[in-house]
Amino acid sequence: MASQPRPRAPRRAAVLGGNRIPFARANGPYAKASNQDMLTAAVDGLVARFGLAGERLGEVVAGAVLKHSRDFNLTRETVLGTRLDPRTPAYDVQQACGTGLEAAILVANKIALGQIDAGIAGGVDSASDAPIAVSEGLRQTMLAANRAKTPAQRAKALAGLRPGHFVPSVPENLEPRTGLSMGEHMALTAAQWGVIREAQDELAAASHRNLASAWDRGFFDDLVTPYLGVTKDTNLRPDSTVEKLSTLKPVFGRGEGATMTAGNSTPLTDGASAVLLASEEWAAEHRLTPLAWLVDAETAAVDYVHGDEGLLMAPVYAVPRLLARNGLTLQDFDLYEIHEAFAATVLTTLKAWEDPDFCRERLGLDAPLGAIDRARLNVNGSSLAAGHPFAATGGRIVASLAKQLKDNGGGRGLISICAAGGQGVVAILEA
Amino acid sequence: MTTTLSFDTAPDLRRIYATGALRRGSDSETLPDVRAVRDGIRVDLDALAAYVRVCRFPLSSTLPLTYPHLLAFPLQMAVMSHEGFPLPLLGAVHVTNAITLLRPLLVTDELALTVWAQDLRPHRRGRQVDLVSEARIEGELVWRGVSTYLSRGAGHPEAQVSDPPGLEPLADVPAGPVWRLAEGTGRSYAAVSGDWNPIHVHALAARPFGFPTAIAHGMYHYARALAALGPRLPEAGLTSRVWFRKPVRLPSTVRLRSAFEPSRTLSRLENLTGEVEHAVIENTW
Repeated sequence: MASQPRPRAPRRAAVLGGNRIPFARANGPYAKASNQDMLTAAVDGLVARFGLAGERLGEVVAGAVLKHSRDFNLTRETVLGTRLDPRTPAYDVQQACGTGLEAAILVANKIALGQIDAGIAGGVDSASDAPIAVSEGLRQTMLAANRAKTPAQRAKALAGLRPGHFVPSVPENLEPRTGLSMGEHMALTAAQWGVIREAQDELAAASHRNLASAWDRGFFDDLVTPYLGVTKDTNLRPDSTVEKLSTLKPVFGRGEGATMTAGNSTPLTDGASAVLLASEEWAAEHRLTPLAWLVDAETAAVDYVHGDEGLLMAPVYAVPRLLARNGLTLQDFDLYEIHEAFAATVLTTLKAWEDPDFCRERLGLDAPLGAIDRARLNVNGSSLAAGHPFAATGGRIVASLAKQLKDNGGGRGLISICAAGGQGVVAILEA
Repeated sequence: MTTTLSFDTAPDLRRIYATGALRRGSDSETLPDVRAVRDGIRVDLDALAAYVRVCRFPLSSTLPLTYPHLLAFPLQMAVMSHEGFPLPLLGAVHVTNAITLLRPLLVTDELALTVWAQDLRPHRRGRQVDLVSEARIEGELVWRGVSTYLSRGAGHPEAQVSDPPGLEPLADVPAGPVWRLAEGTGRSYAAVSGDWNPIHVHALAARPFGFPTAIAHGMYHYARALAALGPRLPEAGLTSRVWFRKPVRLPSTVRLRSAFEPSRTLSRLENLTGEVEHAVIENTW
């Protein structure tokens, strides 16, 4: 008789390290690289760094936001091109800019449940090598012609072709249900919360300053592998200042209230990242020291379509739920990583947590979450400086935060990432 | 005395073909003492990207094993089109190729190439010669290629043969990647390699050279095989050999079957029934 399986208690999932390629502004040095090329480079760099060649991992989970239909199995195809054991399973996820962090959560959860011992979470995006499709009219006409059973039916279907059908369909950074770009959405929220231009430019300058200093002190030496001759994030402007940023013209919003510029918004970026997660036992067997533990995570979504809430406000809702579940306050963190989709996103998020009315009415809290120590925010720079290859941002943040917590000799970090579709992914790391 | 042909940029292959087409090759029993040299070669990322797309390599920070051959090929042609070279430029058949990679080559490395011919010798079906290409980085030899070309002519049945290794390890390998090579495959590879040899370009251009259809470049399907083996090969410290057998007529569907040993791979490129052997590829390290 088979022995009765014992229920297993969840175990801790460790972040062992990460690897990314330098992020590069779109249509720059990675213009000819595909998502698969870049993700392969990021994963293979991780494999090399941690001696994983020939290793069969529990799984590799990654995704891309802008994806060609031929890349339906992007992550598995990537694994087959790396030095991992080709018998390592893989799957794709897609949660807009939350993809990378969600992938890490998925891997960590399987580790916690004992379903796998080790895995890689990653993400990649190319805004340069973007998928371009045939127009919807041409597609429908071709499908109708394909369904036709007689030459006459086929001729009739094809007779429906119009010159306009031959204009290709290019991916747009628009919310399908509102027709507004993410920047336009953010501009509405920023105006609603009265986020001023100077504060945004200050945050952007700090991002560049912090990222530049992290590069200078060698922080990224074991987090980044050069790719195609690029050794450092190309969007980084170490000499960026509030004065210089203040000269830029607003690109989102209208009139007096237009505060968002190319300098305090993230640029379109190409890049890839990967993070190695494992159980404590697996790490010990492989003589690897955990940088941090992925303790818990929460996702939230807001109803932004008819203006009930701002598009990028979901993390504001996710964090108090995560704090409550873990018995923590917003001030119980040593480091905060709030993804800088726009400087205004970060500032609005912080304002909302400080606002008693909002916290009571929207978040159902007796008291506001309160302010954070800004010196602990995005201490190694974030997306405004590094750039934001959508699905790759989560992996960049997880690896950098885990390493910084380790460097600090321990501590707790909060990650907050907003995503298209009114979603937000947040997580807690501890070291 | 050695004649050194120095190039600042890659020699224009179209010009070499245009002039070389008329030259028939001398009857000389010796090779002219010529070296073609090109220093300060920087990899053009756009050209590399075009090459890896066609051959299905990933675009990575390291160069495909075959890429220096692509850079050396115009220099080979410069040597072979030199006055007094005993083989004709057109119609020479690539029979074997061997590449040794001593360290990974980065897209950022500056390469210096030297190409010369050696070892003119009889072949069962004519005469053959080795074109040796060496790539150096700051004086250090990093990559070496030996391309053996055959000029069909008076046969030498007694000539020493360079047979491929035995294919016994492949006996039980049931499957492998299948490639459907379109009629325009030769033109696609010509566009990224510069090798517009008419036998690869179109059936009409191939016929005067005795081929009923255009045939794929050997270095194309060899490169695709290496790309398919991909991470199964070490990054450096390996020698890769290919024996080109029956040409791949275009269009055509071919299959690659491979056997893997601890420090060797052995592959056979063949038609779908396995009756026609197009190439045998062995990598050792």
